[in-house]
Amino acid sequence: MEAPVRSRVTAATGKASRLVAGKRTLPYLLIAPALVGTIFVHVIPIIWGIFISFRDLDIYTIANWRAAPFTGLANYVKALDFADPDGLLFLRSVGNVTYYGVVTITLGYVIGLAVALLLNQRFFGRTLVRGLVLLPYIMPDSVAYSVWRFIFQARVGIVNGFLMSLGIIKEPLVWLVGTRTMFAVMVASIWKGWPFASLLLLAGLQSVPRELLECAAIDGANRWQRFRYVMWPHILPVTKTLILLNILWNFNAYNQFKVMLGDDPGVYAEVPSTFVVRQAFDNLRYGLGAAMSVVLVLMMTVVAVIYLRTLKPGTSVED
Amino acid sequence: MNRQRKAYPSLSSPRVRAIRAAERVALYAAVLLVLVVVLIPYLWMVSGSFKTSLEIQSADITDPNLAPRWVPRTFTLDNYRNVNRTVRILDYFRNSIIVSLGTMLLCLALSVLAGYALARFEFRAKGPYVLSLLVTQMFPGILFLIPYFILFVYVNKWTGIQLKNTYQGLILTYSSFALPFSVLMLRSFFATIPREIDEQAQIDGCTPVGALFRVILPIARPGIAAVGIYAFIMSWNEILFASLLTGRATKTVAVGILEYITNQEARWAGMMAACIIVTIPVLVLFTLIQRHIVEGLVSGSVKG
Repeated sequence: MEAPVRSRVTAATGKASRLVAGKRTLPYLLIAPALVGTIFVHVIPIIWGIFISFRDLDIYTIANWRAAPFTGLANYVKALDFADPDGLLFLRSVGNVTYYGVVTITLGYVIGLAVALLLNQRFFGRTLVRGLVLLPYIMPDSVAYSVWRFIFQARVGIVNGFLMSLGIIKEPLVWLVGTRTMFAVMVASIWKGWPFASLLLLAGLQSVPRELLECAAIDGANRWQRFRYVMWPHILPVTKTLILLNILWNFNAYNQFKVMLGDDPGVYAEVPSTFVVRQAFDNLRYGLGAAMSVVLVLMMTVVAVIYLRTLKPGTSVED
Repeated sequence: MNRQRKAYPSLSSPRVRAIRAAERVALYAAVLLVLVVVLIPYLWMVSGSFKTSLEIQSADITDPNLAPRWVPRTFTLDNYRNVNRTVRILDYFRNSIIVSLGTMLLCLALSVLAGYALARFEFRAKGPYVLSLLVTQMFPGILFLIPYFILFVYVNKWTGIQLKNTYQGLILTYSSFALPFSVLMLRSFFATIPREIDEQAQIDGCTPVGALFRVILPIARPGIAAVGIYAFIMSWNEILFASLLTGRATKTVAVGILEYITNQEARWAGMMAACIIVTIPVLVLFTLIQRHIVEGLVSGSVKG
């Protein structure tokens, strides 16, 4: 594919070009900086993290990690042990995040799809509305969840005000402490998350040829049939990707819990990432924290493999 | 044709027209509902930022006289005037700008070269490299957190280079996180530029790298801007690493904003003003590259 004259041209242009003259080496030289960066900030830390997870690395041994006692699988056993208080909390946090993920992903998808179908209609001001619905997605996490924290305050917050004005509750509820914490975080996450689903689904819907829908309508297909048999095949690939991506992201959700609930979200809303951060940086047990993060990654590997299969990186690269 | 002609008269019957009108009304009502839900937190943030602290602190939904209102009882600009007083949010703002710009530049420098290599050359490591980019993109931040922290401690011990609580530490961290997506995105931008263009440049005497810098980069400017802004926004918004790897000197806005809530008091009015200040750069930048970001997301994650 290269221009045939290239080698002659490069031969004439100095030392730098002679260095990169080889067709074979040039691409490697071009990816080298990124590759070296990746090795230093991705590969080495992962390997190191796995090493640390086999050691009892804490505040006393951090000065020299090789001197930290090698404990084999002890950290892993602890993390997965129901009888151990830390293990119990960790496993509970995995349960919490599963509950959280199922609810937010499902509702986020349903709302996203409903709004995508709505925005696919023709109406006055559609372009503007399409831009505006992206606002929650654009808003930085720290800002969005701070505002939601404000909204969910017991006496100052407008959620309770709204519910009381409707007569649903008589007394203000406490949302951000105790049993309702997870609910509050879910509401905020769904608000923040659905526009992304909507955005991708709308793109999917727009790839449906208009003639196809018109044909279906003329042939007597009702709305549901048009959705099920004409639109759905077009948005199915988007749906798959969206759900897998959301599983990966939500399983590691941290920001919403940290911003809305502070450093200690409490047992009802403890999720793996907040728990790992507290183990490592408050309790200063780096080894245990590292083991827990490795466990989390192993759990997500299954999803990641499905994701890569769905994306088929090898085939979709060139088109 | 036949069917269409048969269907046509019924379209204008009064009953059908009434149903259509009702559908229009329902459509606009639904759009309005969506907009209200989207905008409520924004409007509440704006409203709160113009209220006095006293009004917010004493607000009480159980007391009609003190019920929170959308329009401030006393309109004030104090929250903006005093924005750097209790929490040094403008200093954090400066830190965020330095870190985000640094990330943007470093990330672009690395990803332009790699993206060009992937778009223009066939080489054996190409498939595995693309795969590794997709994989690293999916690793959770939490996996890197503890190793980074310890790595920073050791780098400091061995070389004396301070990475924790410095700009360079955060810039390195964020660049690595933005890099995979940037490379993949730039590759697709470069791939849209016809090969003939840089081949022509090479015939005219450029080296392949010279062609990249003299011909391809100027053409790909919008794509490069989009990728750069993506890296900027990503580092502007990051919370997890910023909360653990920064200190007094380098704290970014994303974590600085949390300082308005302490164990003693919650300064909601100041926080809302800060929230607006933190959001504005992101809003502006996103608007500038919205089309590209959307295209990138759609092509990057929907293909398959």
